[in-house]
Amino acid sequence: MKACPEEIVLYMQEHLDGDLSWEKEQVLKEHLQKCTACQEYFQELKRTIAYIQSTSHIQTPENFTMNVMARLPKEKRSEGVRR
Amino acid sequence: MDALVNQRIKQVLRGDQEAFGEIVELFKDKVFHLCYRMLGNRHEAEDIAQEAFVRAYVNIHSFNQKRKFSTWLYRIATNLCIDRIRKKKPDYFLDAEVAGTDGLTMYSQIAAEGKSPDSEVETLELQEIVQREILRLPDKYRVVIILRYIDDLSLNEISEVLDMPLGTVKTRIHRGREALRKQLSNL
Repeated sequence: MKACPEEIVLYMQEHLDGDLSWEKEQVLKEHLQKCTACQEYFQELKRTIAYIQSTSHIQTPENFTMNVMARLPKEKRSEGVRR
Repeated sequence: MDALVNQRIKQVLRGDQEAFGEIVELFKDKVFHLCYRMLGNRHEAEDIAQEAFVRAYVNIHSFNQKRKFSTWLYRIATNLCIDRIRKKKPDYFLDAEVAGTDGLTMYSQIAAEGKSPDSEVETLELQEIVQREILRLPDKYRVVIILRYIDDLSLNEISEVLDMPLGTVKTRIHRGREALRKQLSNL
C-alpha cells in the first residue's frame, strides 16, 4: 500500500466542516476514487458524526422552570407580579 | 425569536421577574441537553442548568442585546459545566449516569459488557456507548463536539460561546472527531 498524501485527512475534516475549497474538493474526490483505505476512513468519520447525532433523545426534568424561578434571588421580586 | 427574547429581557430589567420564566421556558431544553451531554448525569445536569439560568438572571444587565442571547447563555452553561468537571475529575467518569438507563452508572456498565440479542436493547446500548465515549473525551474536545453536533451550532457560534479563535475551534473539532472515530470504530 503506497502512502497517501498527508493533507488528505485534513481535507476530509475540512469537508465535514463545509470548509473545503473547490480545488481541494477535487483533489479529495480524485484520491478517494482510487484509495479504498481512505474511502473507509472517510466513511468512519461520517458514521461517527451520525452516531453522535443519534444520541439526541433526552427529556428535560419536570418543573424545571418552576425550580429555576424558586432559586432566583428574592430581593428583585418587588416590582414583579404580586401574588 | 430574538425580538421576543429581547422584549422579555427588557421586562426583566424593569423588575418583572415573571418575564424571566418565559426565557427559561424557551431555552431550558437546549441548556439542559447541553449540560447532560457534558456531565452525563441527570441530577447534576439539572443542577448546573438551573444554576446557568440563575446566573443569567443575576447578570442580565451585562448582556448586550445586540448579540444573540443563546450564545451568551450557552457560554454561562458551558463554563459552569467545565468548572464542575474539573472539580470532580478523578471519579466523574465511573459515576456518570448512562444515557437512557435511568440511574445506571458506568460501574454497572463495566459489569454488563455482554451483548444483548434484542435489537431494541441494542439501539439503546449503542446510544449509551456513544454517550460514554463522548464523556471519555477530554473536556476541551467534548465541549466543541457537543456544541457542534448536539446543539447544532456553527463553527463561528462555537468560537463565540467559548471565546476561542475559530482556528482553535476547528482543530479541536477535528481532533474530537478523530478521537471518537477511533473509540467507535469497532461498533
